[in-house]
Amino acid sequence: MRTEHLWKIYPQDPRPVEAVRGVDLTVWRGEFVAMAGPSGSGKTTMLNLVGGLTRPTRGKVWIEGEEISALSDRRLADLRMHRIGFVFQSYNLLPVLSALENAEFTLLLQGVPAAERRGRVRELFREIGLEGLEDRRPPKLSGGQQQRVAVARAVLGDPALVLADEPTANLDSHTAEALLDVMERLNRTKGTTFVFSTHDPRVMERARRLIRLVDGQIESDHAESG
Amino acid sequence: MARRDNDIWWRMAWRNLWRNRRRTAITASALSFGFVAAVLMIALMDGMLEQLVSNGTRVITGQVQIHADDYRPERSMHDTMGGREGLDLAALVGAAGSVEGVTGVAPRAYGGGLISSGDETAGAVLMGIDPRREEGVSRFGTSFVVGGMPGPGEIAIGNAMAGTIGTAPGEEVVVVAPAADGSMGNELFTVSGIFRLGMGGFDDAYVLVELGSLQDLMAMDRSRIHEVAISVDRADQADGVAARVEEAVAGLADSLVVEPWSVFHEQLYFMTSMMGAANAIVAMIIFGMAIFGVANTMLLATFERRREFAVARSLGTSARSIVRIVVCEGLFLGLVSLGAGALLAAPVVVYFHEFPLDLSSFIGTYSFMGSAMQPLMTVEYSWDGPLVSAVALIGTGVASALYPAWRAIRVPPADALASR
Ligand SMILES: Nc1ncnc2c1ncn2[C@@H]1O[C@H](COP(=O)(O)OP(=O)(O)O)[C@@H](O)[C@H]1O
Ligand SMILES: [Mg+2]
Repeated sequence: MRTEHLWKIYPQDPRPVEAVRGVDLTVWRGEFVAMAGPSGSGKTTMLNLVGGLTRPTRGKVWIEGEEISALSDRRLADLRMHRIGFVFQSYNLLPVLSALENAEFTLLLQGVPAAERRGRVRELFREIGLEGLEDRRPPKLSGGQQQRVAVARAVLGDPALVLADEPTANLDSHTAEALLDVMERLNRTKGTTFVFSTHDPRVMERARRLIRLVDGQIESDHAESG
Repeated sequence: MARRDNDIWWRMAWRNLWRNRRRTAITASALSFGFVAAVLMIALMDGMLEQLVSNGTRVITGQVQIHADDYRPERSMHDTMGGREGLDLAALVGAAGSVEGVTGVAPRAYGGGLISSGDETAGAVLMGIDPRREEGVSRFGTSFVVGGMPGPGEIAIGNAMAGTIGTAPGEEVVVVAPAADGSMGNELFTVSGIFRLGMGGFDDAYVLVELGSLQDLMAMDRSRIHEVAISVDRADQADGVAARVEEAVAGLADSLVVEPWSVFHEQLYFMTSMMGAANAIVAMIIFGMAIFGVANTMLLATFERRREFAVARSLGTSARSIVRIVVCEGLFLGLVSLGAGALLAAPVVVYFHEFPLDLSSFIGTYSFMGSAMQPLMTVEYSWDGPLVSAVALIGTGVASALYPAWRAIRVPPADALASR
């Protein structure tokens, strides 16, 4: 994933908001990256741009070598379905679907046959401690469980990149640690690339690379040891 | 998208429908009551139209008539069925009578003449009838004030004309009429009875003569008649019966025309068509309002689920699939309402079929286009009304979902990440 001179300006009264201001960033396959910064620093906007949910005002975004800012809405939707996984701060599971149905949603969109979908979901659920919760609807799951289902949904489609916007912000610290464990393990075992935003110092510590965003610009970019 | 997985959208639609049970229950009840109302309204309207047509046709004309093709509109006495030779009357009556849906067949001949009693004379339409066969088609037989139907050599006169010329049953009248051979027929008839149909233009102008006697008076063979009036068991099926009668009698004479009441009773047909159209417009307005109301409710539901649509879109769900979820929800709402509506409608229809609404205490009986109407709202069993209403109901569900669906696909996927 790579961005070049990336700008996002929201036209707004009284004057436009420059949410992202000329970001050049490259994330390599298999990285585990945290994007940190105070509220309003442009983290969510960055993830929106990289995930193809909004179009940049200026600049370019490449996902696995494909430049996406000029793609049609339809192609963008396809790209999201096949290459990108999302995890949202407020879980955003579909409330009418069971945990299993939520987790397999991307696979279903990709056209993976039912039996294979189910198999993959069950296997992953076992791995991340969701076994036995397959048939529960989101309202009957704890926040931590919901977010693990969301992570499952994001990684099951074998995306090039999983984007997580403050995934632990609604979780207590213990549950947050557990979720990060899951993400870290998936990153290690499956090689899934993770980019997540946070303003929680304890979460930043877990990242292997920490990018600090201030006022829509990269202030610092450090690879952590270990 | 693999085809076999399309059921997920149906599943989501169905579950979405039951998320707000109260709202769905209210909307579905409103729709099912609308369905019941529509079914009942159509049934009552059908009953009313049937009554109107029946009253307009059961007094004299019948619902289907056979003539020689050049008989109407001049009604010349020369234009008898089968031309000057006439036709095999018994075969004709038999053929028409054996057609499915036919309940009565009455042959008739017409002439014009003068009736005199003492010094008084009046012009009259002479109607030659078979008294026994008329029972199955017209109401002459039951409309006698005094006396009864004419036998050979007898004549029945309307009460208005009887008053004019001053005659009574048992007395004799002279009838003078131009005959088919150019001579002047002239005969003495005994008055068999005085009838009163209660229709203007009839009681003061028509007289009934036994068919053979009229043919003799007019120097016509017994094989020559002008009209066969036919009654059917359901007035709204007259077109089909007419077509079958036409087939059945085709071989008996050249150029016979068989017409249903909608052709020879144009005014009545126009009236009933107008009423039917007005009915349809009212129904459309009702369902239009329903669409508006349901669309509003669904729009609300769609709005509440903005984020879910955004999430689904952000994961790569196509606009088509989103539309499918919302439209299916509308479809399911229609189906659920239909199920409830059918359960409700059945006993209501049965009730009104068994116990027709009697409005005579409100409005009394009334006369319409020359026919006496009973203010009795009857409901006949029929699939037409329920089917039309069912289609309209499901159409309402689907149509109501279209705008909300369009709104749903306009939700930007980026809203998924927007903080609350
Ligand atoms: N859809 C939007 N329209 C207008 N302004 C926006 C929109 N989204 C974000 N912003 C503004 O852009 C800036 C960056 O916001 P955001 O990317 O959400 O930052 P963060 O996620 O770091 O809190 C903020 O000033 C915010 O108010
Ligand atoms: Mg944010």
